[in-house]
Amino acid sequence: MKIRSIISIILSVSYILFNLIILWATLGWNVRKAKKAFEKQLIRQGMAKRDARKLSAQYSKLKNDLMNTLKRSIRGEI
Amino acid sequence: MNGKEKEDVEELKEVLSVVSKEVPNLIKSIIASVFSEEAGRDMGKAAAAFYKELRDAGLPEEVAVRMTENYVSVFTSLSEVMKISGKEKIEGAKIGKEISEEVSRKVKEKLAEKLGKEVNEEVSKEIEKELAKRRKEECKEEEEDEED
Repeated sequence: MKIRSIISIILSVSYILFNLIILWATLGWNVRKAKKAFEKQLIRQGMAKRDARKLSAQYSKLKNDLMNTLKRSIRGEI
Repeated sequence: MNGKEKEDVEELKEVLSVVSKEVPNLIKSIIASVFSEEAGRDMGKAAAAFYKELRDAGLPEEVAVRMTENYVSVFTSLSEVMKISGKEKIEGAKIGKEISEEVSRKVKEKLAEKLGKEVNEEVSKEIEKELAKRRKEECKEEEEDEED
């Protein structure tokens, strides 16, 4: 009973960590896809490619801010 | 391991089993609502429509791009809101601490004042009692002297 509970706890923690690592790894890919779709729509309406890229850089900024906020919260600053 | 510890382990096991299922899904859905191809397309459509309207209205390209940039930055100000809420949390905690210190100081002052008053009242009562006792004794002595 005791050993089964401890194994279950270890499995649950491992599952959470694994999922978080997967999410962190796929975040970059998702940002890239969102940026591409965003740029495509702007270019379709006649915006220059350079300007569209400048605007889509906001996505990277948002991602970085989000990651920094998470890091700070983990460190216990917030 | 006693009964209480067993209960704690069981409770932790149940909590973790729920958290391990729910938390990743919650984070996944939050990320997908902001960072996904569909979300990017929708945001791009909105920004492109805004840009097109500005261009159709006769604004120069440079101005239209700058205004669209400002429009898009409203969307990314989410992170700013998070930062501000974090700072407010810290300031709120500081203010809360100051208030609790001030309240405890005031309570202590009031208590000391009240206790001081009570002590003074008790002392004055004791003095009055003592004086009354002495007066009685003096009266008794006088009566005894008169009798003699």
